[in-house]
Amino acid sequence: MQQGDKEQAILEIDKLSISFFTQAGEIPAVMDFSCSVMPGESMGLVGESGCGKSTVALGIMQDLGTNGRIVGGSVKYKGRDLGAMSELELRKLRGSEIAMIYQEPMASLNPAMHIGRQLMEVPMIHEGASVAEAEQRALDMIDAVRLPDGRRIMKSYPHQISGGQQQRIVIAMALLSNPQLLLLDEPTTALDVTVEAGVVELVKDLGRDFGTSMVFISHNLGLILETCDRVTVMYSGEAVETGGIGDVFDRMRHPYTQGLFRSIPLPGTDKNTRPLMTIPGQLPLPHERPKGCNFGPRCEHFAEGVCNTREIPMLDVDGHALHRSRCERFDELDWHAAPSRSAETAKVPVGVPVLRISELRKHYHVSASSFGTGSNVRTVKANESISFEAREAETVAIVGESGCGKSTLAKVLLGLETASAGKVELDGLEIQSLPVAERDAKTVSSIQMVFQNPFDTLNPSHAVGNQIIRTLEKFGIGANDSERREQMLELLDMVKLPRAFAKRMPRQLSGGQKQRIGVARAFAGRPRVVVADEPVSALDVSVQAAVTELLMGIQRESRTTMLFISHDLSVVRYIADRVVVMYLGYIVEQGTTDQIFAPPYHPYTEALLSAIPIADTSVKKKRIVLQGDIPSAMNPPSGCPFQTRCRFKPQVSDGLCEYVVPPLRAFKDGHQMMCHLDESVLNAMEPVISFAEEA
Amino acid sequence: MERLNWFEITAQMAGHFLPVWIALALIFAVSLLLKDRLGLYGKLFNSSVGMIGLGLVLFWVLTALFADMIAPYEALDQFSGMKNKKPGWPIRGEEGHFLLGGDRLARDVFSRVVYGSRTVMSIAPAATLFAFMVGVTLGLPAGYFGGMLDTVLSFLANLVLAFPVILLFFLLVTPEIRETGIPVYIAAVLFAFPIIFFAVLFHSRYAQQPEKLYPYLGVTLVLGLWAYSGLAFNADPFGVFSMDPNLLNIFVSVVFVNSPTVFRIVRGLAMDIHTRDYVAAAQTRGERPWYIMLWEILPNARGPLLVDFCLRIGYTTILLGTLGFFGLGVSPESPDWGMTINEGRKLLSLYPHPALPPAFALMSLVLGLNLLADGLREQSLKD
Repeated sequence: MQQGDKEQAILEIDKLSISFFTQAGEIPAVMDFSCSVMPGESMGLVGESGCGKSTVALGIMQDLGTNGRIVGGSVKYKGRDLGAMSELELRKLRGSEIAMIYQEPMASLNPAMHIGRQLMEVPMIHEGASVAEAEQRALDMIDAVRLPDGRRIMKSYPHQISGGQQQRIVIAMALLSNPQLLLLDEPTTALDVTVEAGVVELVKDLGRDFGTSMVFISHNLGLILETCDRVTVMYSGEAVETGGIGDVFDRMRHPYTQGLFRSIPLPGTDKNTRPLMTIPGQLPLPHERPKGCNFGPRCEHFAEGVCNTREIPMLDVDGHALHRSRCERFDELDWHAAPSRSAETAKVPVGVPVLRISELRKHYHVSASSFGTGSNVRTVKANESISFEAREAETVAIVGESGCGKSTLAKVLLGLETASAGKVELDGLEIQSLPVAERDAKTVSSIQMVFQNPFDTLNPSHAVGNQIIRTLEKFGIGANDSERREQMLELLDMVKLPRAFAKRMPRQLSGGQKQRIGVARAFAGRPRVVVADEPVSALDVSVQAAVTELLMGIQRESRTTMLFISHDLSVVRYIADRVVVMYLGYIVEQGTTDQIFAPPYHPYTEALLSAIPIADTSVKKKRIVLQGDIPSAMNPPSGCPFQTRCRFKPQVSDGLCEYVVPPLRAFKDGHQMMCHLDESVLNAMEPVISFAEEA
Repeated sequence: MERLNWFEITAQMAGHFLPVWIALALIFAVSLLLKDRLGLYGKLFNSSVGMIGLGLVLFWVLTALFADMIAPYEALDQFSGMKNKKPGWPIRGEEGHFLLGGDRLARDVFSRVVYGSRTVMSIAPAATLFAFMVGVTLGLPAGYFGGMLDTVLSFLANLVLAFPVILLFFLLVTPEIRETGIPVYIAAVLFAFPIIFFAVLFHSRYAQQPEKLYPYLGVTLVLGLWAYSGLAFNADPFGVFSMDPNLLNIFVSVVFVNSPTVFRIVRGLAMDIHTRDYVAAAQTRGERPWYIMLWEILPNARGPLLVDFCLRIGYTTILLGTLGFFGLGVSPESPDWGMTINEGRKLLSLYPHPALPPAFALMSLVLGLNLLADGLREQSLKD
């Protein structure tokens, strides 16, 4: 910021550099990072994992642990240098003037203390408030974060309330001392989308009401768009671009920012005509950063002798206020050029039905006591009358939030659980009550799974090549070890990994590479059906695109049926041919992707669509924020499962929703929906997502 | 000849340990050179605690190995006139000194401590290993399957743990109990576990590759049953494996009281690792339960188990010492440290020197094992 401004910046970070000192020597985590936050402004920090965005937040708090140190630059809060303050002064500041909200709400709350006491501590410690006063303020704040029944919540322990409520309590705690600056480190990543939408709206409103400045750290560009005024994009420890939301999102001047936007599935991308663009290569390790531009080796505009000669400073972009980029060449590049690598592929025709699920039901019996099955047996209805079919070479997305029963469905399909009732046919063979141990090798290999968490999907004790070979061995492929080894190497080729990776241990692989091994393993036995359980949700944005494309490519070649489980409707819109929306064990709506994404919607689908953050400034969304949380499957509501959160409930006469489970109604072309709403109401729905002007 | 002063005693002892120093130096030099390629063992050389621990443990291992070269006299050699003599006393009518003095029966305390390391270093690790075999073989299915099996096994484990250890030992070595044959039956059960463990280990891995399965299984069964017949029933046809009945009692008791604790650790680890995706991945490709337990779960539980193994050798060593102290040791003449301390106890106020060296030896070994465990834990967490 320039000097002489009327207002003083709340936070000024000037050329901040932070290093961690380990046995291996100094590891620079953040280099030359500058930004400033004005009163009432919210600044977004966006970047992939390992880019240093959380380290910046910890640097602001001066809380870098024993081996982290600020090695250059300064952090000023209201003009006072935080680095020069004593521990005592900092302690007064932390929690009262600067508050921080972390990703995992359960980890931020003390599980052994009542929520009320934890909240009351804040005014009591920082302002010496009396118990009665602190209690009143805590109650008011619980009200302000829109939690009902404050007195009851004050008396609860953190584990007695849901994740969304916990995060609201953490936010309440942070705001209780009226901080000037709020640091939010991925505050909604651990929450479900509809809950996330509620928390995001809350943060926005509170920021406006209290005039708090915010630093909002996220990997999700869509969230940044919804919450922030300005944004700083980080890459490999450096800020690469900073500016107003409009500038960075629509008139970006750094190739990395552009790459990020091209690798997320925005409305308008399509797997056949406009595929995602991936950023080649990988984030460099902190001690292996290249000379000059850190992004150079992965940049398509890289110019020898220009980009790798000097450490590039942040350069002002002419004509854009406060817009700066760390790119030597942004003036020369054509920022409107169409991406060079787009290749169109023909739509793959779907074949005969491979998987047919009818009236599938899965109930768990949970007994409260550990001795025998007394009268305390409770039933968890994880799946209730699931019916759909999937055809050859088709991608069917199963969408829903946690607790909707999608994982249980996957378990039944794979034989880890057996169905309570109903039928699952795989190529005509009934498998609903065949546990995996009783399936023959051919059936086992023809339905396989790609797991969600790349850090958990491979056994850390075995070399990845051996894990694939073992899979081949179990599937009875290859006559001997050398044949199987050859097969394994071909599978590595298929997932575009170097053959030398066969000897590596999983810890030597990045998340995306591990997920590729997971894909290779699932496709090892030429499966008919692959269940992909959120295969990319734990990966970084640019890696997500690569793994998604890989999955699509292999599927196209092998004509495999894919069940793609996800809660992220942007990915689903991009990848799926048909969509099944689940809520609390029921399929509430199913149809082709176009049918799902256009009205008439099921009320839940409508809310889901509205909840996903979209990183596109031209998209206009209708705001529908659901009240409350997803009910527990142990204790589902009577009648329609969605009735507790549905905004259309008053439009159904006789309170039908509360005691009658709605019938599955068929609309045109196989579109099905489970709702009591009148046809006229459904037909009158407006699209949730629309473009402001046609791009 | 003159009585040696403490400086001379120390110098002479250090000289006697020369083979140990050389071997120790060699091992450390090679390990430090290759530490990047030696996995967890190599990483141990990054922490000073781990290195000190490893050094102490290796010192006693090597002492046990080279005991013949180190000890100036035999463990049972008696020298006239050397009864209860002070450290550094010259031997009457001969060259040489009793570096740490003589005991009640005029034997060299130093030599006895050196030979005693053999008993300690052979029984404690072997007993711990057997306890681990039992604990792992029972703990894995208990944690993996849960349910009734877990309830029953955990109950039995708690039952053993609730029994006073010393009383149990006294019972097992009582002649009346011994005559009933109970220790042998217990041995028969406990010693079967390693064979079961390895047989299941190879079978689960190579069930579909008979050409690999049969050699492994054959070697396991032949070697295992051979040793089993000798150790448990003293019926080895070739007389290679045998165990003194007294030793067998001690051994069985130590394994018996240690395995429930190992069982509980393994069970807990198995329950935790059971929830991982790679276990689900193994299930979805149709792996059998024992493969998952032994090849998917067990390798990933190795960190905590390794640490516990080191600590447990320490406990077992102390336990053996305690037993020796109570007169439940291996054999009355044995130079076992616990027994020696017990014997020295009787004249402790007059002659402290026979009891102190084995006590220090025991302490340093257990300290070394604890430090080693700490180092391993620290380094395995860093991975």
